[in-house]
Amino acid sequence: MFNDSDCLRILEQAMSTTADFAEIFQEVTESKSVSLLNGQVIRAATGFDSGTGIRLLAGTNSVYVYSSDNDIEVLLKLAKEAASAIKGADKGSIEALKALCSTSKATVEIDPMSVSKTDMVDFLRKSSDYALSYDPLITQAASSIACTKRSARVINTRGVNSEDTTKRIRLSIETIATKDNEKQSGRVAPGTMKGYEFINDYPVIDKTRECCDTAIRMVNAGYAPSAKMPVILGNAFGGVIFHEACGHALEATAVGIRNSYFTDMLGQQIASSIVSARDNATIDGEWGSYATDDEGNTSSDLLLIENGILKNYLVDELGSRRMNCAPTGCSRRQNYSYAPTSRMSNTYICNGESDPKDIIANTEYGLYATQMGGGSVDTSTGDFNFAVNEAFIIRDGKIAEPVRGATLIGKGQEILKNIDMVGNDLELSAGVCGSVSGGVPVTVGQPTIRVSSILVGGRE
Amino acid sequence: MDIKTAEKFMEKLVKAGKEFGFEECEAAFASENSMSIDILNGEVSSYENSATSSLSFRGLKNGQMGYCSSNILEESSIDFLLRSAMENCEVLNDEDPQFIYCDENNKNLYFSQVTDAYSKNTYKSFSELGLNLEKAILALDSRIDAVDFLTVACSTGPYLIINSKGLHSYRDSDGISIVASARATDEDGSVKSGDHYWIGKDIDNFDIDAFLAKFGEKLLGKMGAKSCKSDNYSVVFKAEAFQQFFMAFFSNFMATPMQRGLSLLADREGETIASSVFTLKEEPMYEKALTKIPFDDEGVLTTAKAIIDKGVFATALYNLKSANKAGRPSSGNGFRGGSNVGELPTNLIVEPGDYTFEGLLEEAGNGIILSDLSGLHAGVNAISGDFSLLCEGYLIENGKKGRPVEQITVAGNFYDVIKSIKSVGNDIINVPSGEGEFFTPSVLVSSLAISGDEE
Repeated sequence: MFNDSDCLRILEQAMSTTADFAEIFQEVTESKSVSLLNGQVIRAATGFDSGTGIRLLAGTNSVYVYSSDNDIEVLLKLAKEAASAIKGADKGSIEALKALCSTSKATVEIDPMSVSKTDMVDFLRKSSDYALSYDPLITQAASSIACTKRSARVINTRGVNSEDTTKRIRLSIETIATKDNEKQSGRVAPGTMKGYEFINDYPVIDKTRECCDTAIRMVNAGYAPSAKMPVILGNAFGGVIFHEACGHALEATAVGIRNSYFTDMLGQQIASSIVSARDNATIDGEWGSYATDDEGNTSSDLLLIENGILKNYLVDELGSRRMNCAPTGCSRRQNYSYAPTSRMSNTYICNGESDPKDIIANTEYGLYATQMGGGSVDTSTGDFNFAVNEAFIIRDGKIAEPVRGATLIGKGQEILKNIDMVGNDLELSAGVCGSVSGGVPVTVGQPTIRVSSILVGGRE
Repeated sequence: MDIKTAEKFMEKLVKAGKEFGFEECEAAFASENSMSIDILNGEVSSYENSATSSLSFRGLKNGQMGYCSSNILEESSIDFLLRSAMENCEVLNDEDPQFIYCDENNKNLYFSQVTDAYSKNTYKSFSELGLNLEKAILALDSRIDAVDFLTVACSTGPYLIINSKGLHSYRDSDGISIVASARATDEDGSVKSGDHYWIGKDIDNFDIDAFLAKFGEKLLGKMGAKSCKSDNYSVVFKAEAFQQFFMAFFSNFMATPMQRGLSLLADREGETIASSVFTLKEEPMYEKALTKIPFDDEGVLTTAKAIIDKGVFATALYNLKSANKAGRPSSGNGFRGGSNVGELPTNLIVEPGDYTFEGLLEEAGNGIILSDLSGLHAGVNAISGDFSLLCEGYLIENGKKGRPVEQITVAGNFYDVIKSIKSVGNDIINVPSGEGEFFTPSVLVSSLAISGDEE
């Protein structure tokens, strides 16, 4: 990491023309991972990556330069190039650098980077040994552990001088069932910012069994129907619906350029009155948390929707200039090769009042999606899609036969209004969200909810 | 990091690797210089310029290949790279042998394809082009509200591989891309979005009129779109949609997933798996490709071959490890998709048929044109071939393009689709894909399940 005088030299160079703001982002990331397939350790990798990004703003005009070469002379040259490209009116000023503020959102007992790969392999082997002897239909068992340690320092012309360190672990267990020419999988992939104690305490056998059961159920299942119908979305990763259909459309990336169906709708009813939702980056040890964002702002617990009313957007520095409001501490990037922008962290629909059992009992016919895949949204049109990995037909208020191969589609602005029951079993689930500033760790979440009508794109 | 400095570091690293105890070892260096400008509301809203590089080391010890990567090419990194790779070797217990390779007759390959045209890629030339393009898109039609995304970008960079067996090979590449996305409001107030792209090596070859014609067709053609009835339809995949669709299942043609039981094509080379009108070739040095690839990331010469020949699965793609397991030579498809060397395709070409796009519609009679597919990262089961995807397109009515459709899904199975290709068009497009590009025309498929909510 640069010393303060080097930082100042870069900022001075960057501000030598007409920028009103300049920022240095310096990052060091260490990574290690192991992967098993059918008991064999097929991959063990170690990585080290570091680099620096320099961003200049003049109003809403931005210039971003970055390099994996951290040599001060290389960066001074890049800063000079950036200064010549920025299109502002006047020369801005540089405030005195504050004392370094170091933060970390993780409460770690066992540092994952200190754990040997042999220990990780021993853990993963428990899963593959169990899966491969569970049922003759289970033909493959894959698992992996990936750990990263990321230190990100932000220095800017407003005197911000912060460093945030995150240590993350992602575990993945996937089992595949084979029957005739059919292969289906069951998967769990929890992520955490807790230490390696999370792995030590993880109920690996129970979770492996759940994966095997899902894979076996799905390989025996028929195809999902194709029709509009009530859909019950299970808790935890079911929250991908809110992430896609609503979350992305609340980011300043879209709202700031009026490319969102929720533009200019603060204070308006955008969801059913039983829906409240938050984006909370402050939850201790959660996969999508951080203490300080990639612009040096303190992370926040943001109320997005309260009883159906839109309360807040997710706003970064550039978005705040476009939208004339304050940043909300949500600016993130995959690494130094991306300029930061507004992103989600731990985003979820809050608990409602219904018992999940009552939601099922109150549904005469519909689809119960218990395991979701990923999805995507076009924030200009509202068109969203997300895949269902495991689902059941609900018939006469009871869970009936399993079905597979369905994608749920609709318009984001309509689906939120069609949520007619919200359960009380909120859970979060880890994922990686891809957008303009790269892939960032997020959690999605919700209690069990029911949407009165969604188009289920099946084959029957 | 310049290539000469990297080369010296790599030579030192490989020598140190042997001394450290690796039986054989290899270093690969890749760097990229890139520039891009974004246009928004009549201004250059964003400019990016970058120089990045990374080095990947791999070493062989007791039959296991340990990997480690770093972007710090300094003396102090050598110990980290070697120790980490050795630690990884000690953890691995892969049963299949791996190789560091050198062909005595092709161990000093040098292939540079960056042309003088790259020097035309400047802030000035890109911003002028971008601003003109934004203005021209907005002038296409009064219903177009905004160009939300318009990027003009270029990148260039070398790839150098050096190993302890004497391999020392270099290749490089460059390219320009222009991507634009706009939204328009329909008469009923609903918003439609559309995008288009161009890729090339010389900015002077960008044909703005041709780009605008396609852009207008893709965006304005959606006006008035609505859903349709659920049913089984004859389907014409537009070329771009077919490329996206096919690549979502391409891992099935790679040897490593086959050998791991993750592809239903395992042990089926020589069998008929697709319609007899369908031929898919790989041509690493394809004349029309922007990027030609003479050797893979393991230093093996690439070769032209049919992957599917008139419906017959001719060959899978192999790297050194999977080829050895299969008892055959590598097909020159060993590329670093992530940190390890797996398999990837270079330039893929679907052999064109005799039909124009309009000819395919006539052949279909009634059905649906699929022009855009969404959710390919989630809505496919790459192993079983099952898919269910959000899509947009047009009805085909009496052999002609009819009204636009949206909010529909298409569902089926990849293996059934390639068997039921009835006709192949000749309207070829090229899209960046794998290590190279995918050249494909539109294709007509006999029947697929479409879900919509029209009564």
